[in-house]
Amino acid sequence: MVTQGNRLGTITVVAGLLISTTAMADTLKVGVVGPMTGPLAVMGEQWRHGIETFMELNGDTAGDTTIEVVYRDTMGNPANAKQMAQELIVRERVQALVGFGISPSAAAAAPVINEVQIPTFLPHVASPALMEASPYFVRLGQNIATNAQVAAKWARENGMESAYVAVADYAPGHDVANAFKPAFESAGGTVTGSDNVPLSTVDFSPFAERIAEAQPDMVQLFIPPGAQAVSMVKALAARGMMEDTLIMGQGEAEDSDIHLFDGTIKGFHSAIYYSESLDNPENAAFVGGLQAKFGEDVLPSTFTLGAYDAMALIYAVAEEMGADFDGDAVMEKLSGYSWASPRGKITLDAESREPIQDFVIRRVEDVDGQLRNVVVDTIPQVHPISGS
Amino acid sequence: MASAASSLTFILLYGVSYGLVLFIISIGLVITMGLMRVMNLAHGAFAAIGGYIAVGVMTNFGIPFPLAVVAAVAGVVALSVVLERLVFVNLYGAPELDQVLMTIGINFIVIGGLTIFFGPNVYPINLPDYLTGNVDLGIRNFEIYRLFVIAMGLIVVVGLWIMFEKTSFGAKLRAAVDNPSMTRVIGINVNRVFIIAFGIGSGLAALGGAIGAGMLPLEPYYPMKYLVLVLVVVALSGFGNMRASLAVAVLVGIVDTAGRFLVPSLGGFIIYIVLVVLMVLRPEGLFTKRAA
Repeated sequence: MVTQGNRLGTITVVAGLLISTTAMADTLKVGVVGPMTGPLAVMGEQWRHGIETFMELNGDTAGDTTIEVVYRDTMGNPANAKQMAQELIVRERVQALVGFGISPSAAAAAPVINEVQIPTFLPHVASPALMEASPYFVRLGQNIATNAQVAAKWARENGMESAYVAVADYAPGHDVANAFKPAFESAGGTVTGSDNVPLSTVDFSPFAERIAEAQPDMVQLFIPPGAQAVSMVKALAARGMMEDTLIMGQGEAEDSDIHLFDGTIKGFHSAIYYSESLDNPENAAFVGGLQAKFGEDVLPSTFTLGAYDAMALIYAVAEEMGADFDGDAVMEKLSGYSWASPRGKITLDAESREPIQDFVIRRVEDVDGQLRNVVVDTIPQVHPISGS
Repeated sequence: MASAASSLTFILLYGVSYGLVLFIISIGLVITMGLMRVMNLAHGAFAAIGGYIAVGVMTNFGIPFPLAVVAAVAGVVALSVVLERLVFVNLYGAPELDQVLMTIGINFIVIGGLTIFFGPNVYPINLPDYLTGNVDLGIRNFEIYRLFVIAMGLIVVVGLWIMFEKTSFGAKLRAAVDNPSMTRVIGINVNRVFIIAFGIGSGLAALGGAIGAGMLPLEPYYPMKYLVLVLVVVALSGFGNMRASLAVAVLVGIVDTAGRFLVPSLGGFIIYIVLVVLMVLRPEGLFTKRAA
């Protein structure tokens, strides 16, 4: 009898082991594809912050499914993006993708994604027309036209009569200009000047000079973050424009990037959907987790947030569907899906697969000797503006 | 509406200050190209390292800006002399393609190193208070920093002129540029002239990187980003011609500033049109005496 019992016990243990091995084999591989090195490396680094923070806070299992993350570096090159996405899908057998630093990279990889129906989460790329490239794209950032329209409307409501538009001379810059101008003018304002700033620009003072001569009430900017944004703000400040003109941008002065600027950035406004200073429990957990893992002086950006929220969605789906990440079923589940993000309430618009979310107008101020983005206004639950 | 005089002075002063930074960064390459015929595409890396050293010691040790600039120049001179002995010496007489591959490789190593140690983002400089703000020059306001850069540029120009024209080292240098084998024959140690010139050139690049950091932000990609501008100056100057490279650098600064100010949408490539035209008309360099 005793042996019998032992045997039974052994069988149970073995069976248990077997079951748990199958459970362990139930792994969902997530491929992260984007610029980890090269001129856009900041994006990849901040995604990693967001992803690792999420996994630190939520563990590496969603329900019974183990989540494993594999990174691939595109060095910011769209040609690599397609190849890396393919490699992740074919060799690593990933079932979801998080990625792409720039919209052309996402567009380049779209045919591969469509063929194998891999749900693909875009943390921040913002081209309005991009979503048409794949029915498996889910946008976690914004469509850049939305910011521009929010900015135009807010500026008119706050008494700005004339605006000068200065955008980087590439597709997203043109998207901003094309969305801002009609929105500002149809609200009764006048656009007094518009410049496309070449991407090769090193010295921005000629543009600051042109803008200052036009004496607008506000300037709508779109300048790539990093060196270019720093130089542009310095040039505007040298003409005294930060004090007497409303300077409005989007992602030029992300919380994570403010330390790149000197004190002249004070007064810079952004129309965007997140600020590190937002007061809600999800944001407290996000910022707290980020700083606990990567250091007190690390601040989140919309890149960090986008990757964090991408993981939140993947976990939410995996909890219900397990590792069987069928593309169409995932998209079906995410259509109209709503959750509490560090940015506040967010809903994936069923039509466009883009967020319906709050926008904030934030201003850089000196808070206890530190430059910080302070929220000066909130525009609740803005619907994405349709692309193209 | 601002007056034409105000716009014109804007173009001149900003163009000249921009041009002078380019001059300080590029002149080292003009000299070493002239001397050693080495296509050192890693020259911009010395400017970047100089800038990073200056800002690094300022932010981490609170060292004042002028001393930080001195530290940057000294550090890069030391580094470049070591590199000259270990690496660049192998390139003298090597085929041009080898030189290009090797020095571009060095650039990528420097870019990778800067990313590892300082992160992929801009490395911000906080200029001292006495260099920020504007000063009223009568016609209009100007940034003190730009005037400072112009002053430094002029000091470098005068210093180099004295070195070239008035010192025996300058005479040896000019001799070695014009005819290295004959210079050897009369007993001048050309290799030593090489090392010193290489050190001075790299030190000047570091100076340009450090004092120009308020205008050309420091970032890991700095060595590649400004390479084209540096090569424009070098290509139009002719080998080892300081006067020409000063003129070319200032011309580049003014044309670029004027182009972006007057026709912003074309501003990005006006300077390249000028480059193409000049290369077609004067392929040996702007002020080079034409061969008979």
